[in-house]
Amino acid sequence: MIVDAHAGERIGAVWLRAALAPVGDFGRRSDQVFVPFGPGDEAAARAACAHVLALAHTLASDGVARVRAALRRAPDAQPLFARARAGDPLTDVDLYEVGRFIDALRETSDAWFDAGGAAADRPPTLEALGAILAPGRSGAGFYLADAFAAELAPLRARYADADERVQRERARLAMTFAPQLGFMPEGDEFIAMRDALPLVPAGMRVVRETPAYRTLALELDATALAAAHDLECALSELAEGEASARRALAERIGMHMSDVHAATAALGALDRTLARVAFTQRWDGCVPHFTTEHLAFDEATFAPLAEALAHEGLSYTRLSLDLRGVAVITGPNMGGKSAALATCGFLALCCAYGVPPPAQAFEGPLFAHVAWIGAGGSNDFTRLLSSFGAEVALASDALAIDERPELVLVDEFARTTGPREGRALTIALLEALVRRGAFALAATHFDGVARLANVAHVAIAGLGDRVLDVRAARNLHMALDAVARAMDYRIVKVEAGAPAPSDALALARLLGLEEAIVERAAALFAAGDAPTGG
Amino acid sequence: MLAEGTRSVVVVGTAKNVGKTVTLNALRRAAAARGLLGAVTSIGRDGEPTDALDGAAKPRVRLEAGTLVALPRELVPRSPAFEVLELGEPSALGAIVFARVRYAARCEIGGPPTARGVRATIDRLSELTSGPVFVDGAMDRIAPLAGGSDAIVLATGVASGATPHAIASIARETVARLSLPARVCGLERDSVVIVDGALDERDAEELIAHAAGATVVVADPTRVTVRGMLFERLRSAVDLRCERALRVVACTTSSVGRTHALDPRTLAGAVAEATGLPTFDVVAGLAA
Repeated sequence: MIVDAHAGERIGAVWLRAALAPVGDFGRRSDQVFVPFGPGDEAAARAACAHVLALAHTLASDGVARVRAALRRAPDAQPLFARARAGDPLTDVDLYEVGRFIDALRETSDAWFDAGGAAADRPPTLEALGAILAPGRSGAGFYLADAFAAELAPLRARYADADERVQRERARLAMTFAPQLGFMPEGDEFIAMRDALPLVPAGMRVVRETPAYRTLALELDATALAAAHDLECALSELAEGEASARRALAERIGMHMSDVHAATAALGALDRTLARVAFTQRWDGCVPHFTTEHLAFDEATFAPLAEALAHEGLSYTRLSLDLRGVAVITGPNMGGKSAALATCGFLALCCAYGVPPPAQAFEGPLFAHVAWIGAGGSNDFTRLLSSFGAEVALASDALAIDERPELVLVDEFARTTGPREGRALTIALLEALVRRGAFALAATHFDGVARLANVAHVAIAGLGDRVLDVRAARNLHMALDAVARAMDYRIVKVEAGAPAPSDALALARLLGLEEAIVERAAALFAAGDAPTGG
Repeated sequence: MLAEGTRSVVVVGTAKNVGKTVTLNALRRAAAARGLLGAVTSIGRDGEPTDALDGAAKPRVRLEAGTLVALPRELVPRSPAFEVLELGEPSALGAIVFARVRYAARCEIGGPPTARGVRATIDRLSELTSGPVFVDGAMDRIAPLAGGSDAIVLATGVASGATPHAIASIARETVARLSLPARVCGLERDSVVIVDGALDERDAEELIAHAAGATVVVADPTRVTVRGMLFERLRSAVDLRCERALRVVACTTSSVGRTHALDPRTLAGAVAEATGLPTFDVVAGLAA
C-alpha cells in the first residue's frame, strides 16, 4: 500500500504502527520484514484479521499482557547459537544467556497457556535444549558444573588442593619471618621500617627502598616455589578442562540451531500477533469483507482521536458511512469532517496491517494507494510553497500515482484561494477522481460542489436545533466541551439541494469572538444569498 | 563498622595510586578473618595487573570461594569458572555480571560507569549476600551513596602530595567536604539558601559576599566543587549543609609513591590529626 508521509500523518499511520509495535527483539525483527496486505491478498488479510479477532475474544486481556511481558524479557540468544554452530567457544555468561532464553520460552509458553491460548498454538519450549544445560542450572543462573564433564571434578579438586597448598606455604613463610619482622606479613608485599629491621633477612627480597623503610616480598623457598608451580599447572589443566567442557556444550547446543530459529520465528510472529490482539481488545473490531463495490463501515472508531479525547475526558462518537465511488462531505466547523476522512484511511490501514478494523462492520477494498489532499504538506518542497501551492503539489503527486484501488481523501481543497476558483478546482478534481474510478471523500465548505460534480453528498449532522450554551463557556476547554455536548457527529445522507449549514456564527460566538462582530456577520449573512447545498 | 550494621564499604582515593585496592583487600581480609566473605565490586575498572593509564604494576584482587562479585562481562575469568547469577547494568566492557566465586581466583574487577548503575549494583549485591559489600570507588561517582548507609574510607598517600603536611591538608579538606552535615529542619539559621546543582567558585564568592551567616544547602557533598582556601573561607562564612549526607569513617595512607616515599608513621599521624578520623597504613600495619 502506498501512503505518503502526509497522508500517513493525517490518517494515523504513525500512531497505528506504534500501537501495533511488538515488545520483544524477535517480534521487532518479524515486524521489519512484514509486508502490509495489498490487492490480491484479500484472503490472507481476512484470515489474519479473523485470527486476531478470535484470539482477542479467547485470550484474557491480562493474560495477553503477561505473555507480552514474557516476550519483552526474552533475550536474543540467536547470535550465541550461530557462534556455537560455527564452532566458536561460548563463555559461561553466554551459556547463562542461553539458559535465560530457554526460561523465556517456558515463561511465554506458560503465560500463553494461562491466558487461555489453544494448546495447538502453544509456543515451543525447547525442552531438549533445556535438558542440556540443566546440570548447571539450579535457579536462573548458570555454573559450568562438574556434571558437564567427568574430568572437571578431579581437576577442580586438584586446583583447590594446589591453591590451598600455596596459601599454606605463604602462611608458613610468613610465620617463619614474623618474629624477625615483629608483625605477620600479609599480601604480596609489605613494608619494614629500617630502624626496626636494619638488615634484610635471608628469604626476603627488596621490592623498593627509601631512607626510612623497605618494601619487601617473601622469597619463595623450594617447597613454596614447587607449590606455586603446581598451582600454575593445576590452573592451566583446569582451564583446558573447562574450555573442553564448554566446547562440548557449545557443540551440543549448536545442533539445536534450527529448533532455535523456528522458536524465535514463532515467538516473533506471536509477538506481532499479540500486539494486534491487544489493540483489538482495546478498540474492538470486525473481520473485514473485501469488495470493490463500496467502502462502508458501521460504528467505526478513529482510534488516535478517540484516545486523545479520552485523555481529555471527552467522549468519541463512532461513525458510519457508505461510500460508493466519490462523495462530498459537508458540515459545521469542528463537526468532525476531517475525522471522518481520517477514519476511512485508518480503517483501510488496519486491513492492510491485518488487524481487525475497529468497527462493527467493514466492507471495502484492500487499497493499493491512500492519498490525502489538503493543507499542510509535510515535505521540504511543499514547505516552500503557499498553503494553496502545497495543496496543489500534493494533489499532483497523488494523481500521478497509478495504483488501484485507491482511496483519495480531500480535506477542504483550495480553501485558501479565491472561493469561486477554489470551488471550480474542487469540482474539477472530483470529476477527475470519478473518471479514475477512485474511492474519494471530499470535505468542503463550498456550496453546490456535490451537485455540480454529480457525486453523492453526506454531511455531519451538526448542531441542528441544539442551542450552544454560550454563557457556560468561560474558557476554551469549557467551550470545546459545550461544542462536544451539542454537536451530533453522525454522518447523514444529504438530499440534493438541501442546505449545508456550517454553524460558523454560533461557534464563533461560543469560542469568544466579540459579540458585535458576530452580530454584524449574522446581519450580513441574513441579507446575502442562502446556501444552495453542497 | 560491621558491628554497627554497615552493609557496604566504599573506598575512594584523593588521587590515583594512593592504595585504594590495597585498602580494599585489607578490609576484605579483616572481614574474612571474622568469617565474612561478602561481595566485591568496583566503580569503573580496577584490579588489573597494570595501571590502564601508565602501565605500572597494580595489586590484583584475590577472591575467595563463596565471594560474590559484580564485574563487567569481559572481565569474568574463564578459569576457574564463576557461577553466573544474573546480568545487571550495561558498561563499556559488557553488562555487569553478578557472579559467585566457586574456587578462589585472582581477577580484574570493574563496575558500572554511571552513578545510577553504581547504586543499583551495590543494592543488588546487598540483596544477594548477607555479608558486607566492598566497593573500589571513585571520588567523582559517589553521589549516589549520599543519604545511604554506606561507609566511605578515604585512601590518601604520596601520590596526592609531596609532604605529610600537604597530603594531610588535602585529606582534611576532602573529609570536610565529604562530611558536610545533613540539613536539620528547625535548626537552621534565619536565612536559608538552597543551591541547585553544583556549588562552584563563583557561587562561593557570591555566598561569602552576600549570604554570610546563612545556612547554605546543597543536594549532597559531591555538589561542592570548591577546593582549597576558598572552601575553608566558605565554610567559615556560612553554615554549609546538604540534603543527603555521606559517611566518611576512616582514612588510609600509602607512604610509597612512584617518585618518592615518606615515613609511614609520620604520614599516618599527620592525616589522623588533620581529619580526626582513625587512619591506617595497611601495608606497614600502622594505626593512628
